[in-house]
Amino acid sequence: MSKVFITGMGAISSLGTNVSENHTSLRSGKTGIGKAHHFQSAYVATMPFAEIDLSDEQLKNKLSITESGVTRTTLIALHAFKEAIQDAHLSQEDLSDFETGFISSSTVGGMCYTDQLFQDANQSIDASEFIHSYEGSNHTQYISEKYQIKGYTDTINTACSSSANAILVGARLIQTGRAKRVIVGGADCLSKYTVNGFNALRILSESPSRPFDKNRDGLTLGEAAAYLVLEGEETCQNKKKYAELIGFGNANDAFHPSATSDEAFGPIAAMTSALTEAGIHADEIDCINAHGTGTPNNDITESFAFSSVFEKVPPFSSTKSFSGHTLSAAGSLEAIFSILSITHSEVYPSLNCEHPIDEFEFRVTQSLIENRTINKVISNSFGFGGNCTSLIFSACS
Amino acid sequence: MFIKDVYAISPQRTIDSSFENGDFQLHTTGKMEAIEPNYLEFIPAGQLRRMGKAVRMGIGAGLPLIRRNPNLEGIIIGTANGGLEDCVKFLNQIVEYEEGVLTPTNFVQSTPNAVAGQLAVLSGNRGYNSTHVNGSLAFENALIDAMLVLEKRTTDSSLLVGAVEEISSYNYNIEKLQGHYKKEIIDNSQLLNSSTEGSICGEGATMFVLSNDPHNALAEIVDVAQISFPTDIQLITVVQQLLQKHQLQLKDIDILLQGFNGDNRTKHWYTNLNKEFKNAEVLSFKEYCGEYKTASAFGLFYAIQRLKKTERKVNSSATHVLIHNHFDGKKHGFILLKK
Repeated sequence: MSKVFITGMGAISSLGTNVSENHTSLRSGKTGIGKAHHFQSAYVATMPFAEIDLSDEQLKNKLSITESGVTRTTLIALHAFKEAIQDAHLSQEDLSDFETGFISSSTVGGMCYTDQLFQDANQSIDASEFIHSYEGSNHTQYISEKYQIKGYTDTINTACSSSANAILVGARLIQTGRAKRVIVGGADCLSKYTVNGFNALRILSESPSRPFDKNRDGLTLGEAAAYLVLEGEETCQNKKKYAELIGFGNANDAFHPSATSDEAFGPIAAMTSALTEAGIHADEIDCINAHGTGTPNNDITESFAFSSVFEKVPPFSSTKSFSGHTLSAAGSLEAIFSILSITHSEVYPSLNCEHPIDEFEFRVTQSLIENRTINKVISNSFGFGGNCTSLIFSACS
Repeated sequence: MFIKDVYAISPQRTIDSSFENGDFQLHTTGKMEAIEPNYLEFIPAGQLRRMGKAVRMGIGAGLPLIRRNPNLEGIIIGTANGGLEDCVKFLNQIVEYEEGVLTPTNFVQSTPNAVAGQLAVLSGNRGYNSTHVNGSLAFENALIDAMLVLEKRTTDSSLLVGAVEEISSYNYNIEKLQGHYKKEIIDNSQLLNSSTEGSICGEGATMFVLSNDPHNALAEIVDVAQISFPTDIQLITVVQQLLQKHQLQLKDIDILLQGFNGDNRTKHWYTNLNKEFKNAEVLSFKEYCGEYKTASAFGLFYAIQRLKKTERKVNSSATHVLIHNHFDGKKHGFILLKK
């Protein structure tokens, strides 16, 4: 069975327009959460968001996109995708190879422009410019067509664990010899649809989210796109390898559409099956990139899961305190942050936690840890519908 | 990977044995709506009321299989759009109430992973769980995912795998504006002879129990393949590669089941390819289920029904079926079956 290596990364979020800028923000403790300037919603006046500081027009100019009907989801996806394939030095021939795959994910997908969709769904006279762009897989198809990706393409939507599952499926395609290389990740932009949905569920905070704080009162929504290039041993012998994906686990909590069970069945099963897959013990994990949304329910149930899986809980933090919760993109964005921890020997802090949860003796990491050898990181992504996925990245031996 | 059990909610009478016994339901309105079972036998009334049609059909087709096959190790669903009716209802709330205080029910029901998630909750299934939303390849993606999961499991492991799509007035408006449906109203018995643009909209939920265990299997899914934006030559190449991988040639295919949908703009993809199959009986299935993004799941259901009635050829060790489907010619899926 082939090993799976990460040979390219691309990210755009409120922390910066490429991986390097994201890394600088994480190191310097600079949050991406604040007042949104480009996103149009009544909630911009009352709630913070983690917005990518580029308008649709600016993104189109940067990407030289001139055609109509390209949504913000697609624009940010394309931006991060380009960075990832350039970073991995994939040629056009590589991209069109039948053995190259592309697995993306999105929750809002092409439905990010509420008013146009309202018009197109309710009337049948004049179609808006986005009439062909609404599907969840629209950005995947756009990028596949632009780069003439002929092989395996897929779009996954398991809510907030979507891109973690894209990474999981991509890794299995390589392990089983069905693909040589797979570009995996996800993209979600801020939209009225998502903001109103989360607000109706009463899980948005009016202040920047405070993961693992006793007084946390909800999450902050963000937007991001993040892609990784996964390659098997055959194609990346002489290539730079950032890390190896050694384990992954997927389980369902089977409890409630939008909350995790007190027993944290799903999170525990995801983490333990990832450890089993990796063939390592929990004490070999050097740090945890937590799901850590900042909702009362997630952070206490995830803490309980840590206490069950780890005898001694390693340093853990929620980078959602920087990037906001970027939904489908969170899994791949945080995979990149986990890999940066490995390659730079750092643990990034969780921001805004003044009074850590005290039901357990372990505490969230509140300041940057430097010069610490990080060999293995576990990254958690849990979503609505009970979808839980954990990934384990390792330094290349 | 073996198919052990099936259940389909479709525009035909597939909820009992009528369709299998030759019943044909004529749909004359331009929308082929599913014939649904009495869900109250297995979904509590309070929950049923909150479910949109996609979720209801998905749960309604999945739960009977879960009951008959209690040791399933996971649930994998393919759906291009999930509950679009609920989605636009929520959207209409946003616009109507100008982002005021909204009820979350439509939002929760509209997320495409609601079917797999609620099936997990209702059956207490904590196993592998995923939802593929890759347009017209979503079901083929779900099948590949199932193979990836089962290859790591024991010889008797099984999964629930299926596809769901609903007709809502909204997706109908959008897809009609996109030019996918015929301007004139014809019934489904005329679909394949039509020579105009577009098809007839269909819907359904089709579920399968897929297993590593060949015992009493209905058929074996040998492999699944796909290609995007092909040339004619690339389309044939990908089929040949699929067959060669399993020591088969074009002439070994006994039944070629293609997704003919009465659209004169894209029919050539099917006819150009089926010329290559000298020994195959060419069949179609969308006159029964209509056109929708995950119709290939109904195609697989139909193939199993046909295989039950097909006599094995003399001098042949097995009957091979290839299912070929596309929605608008851009993405092509292939499912290779053996009995």
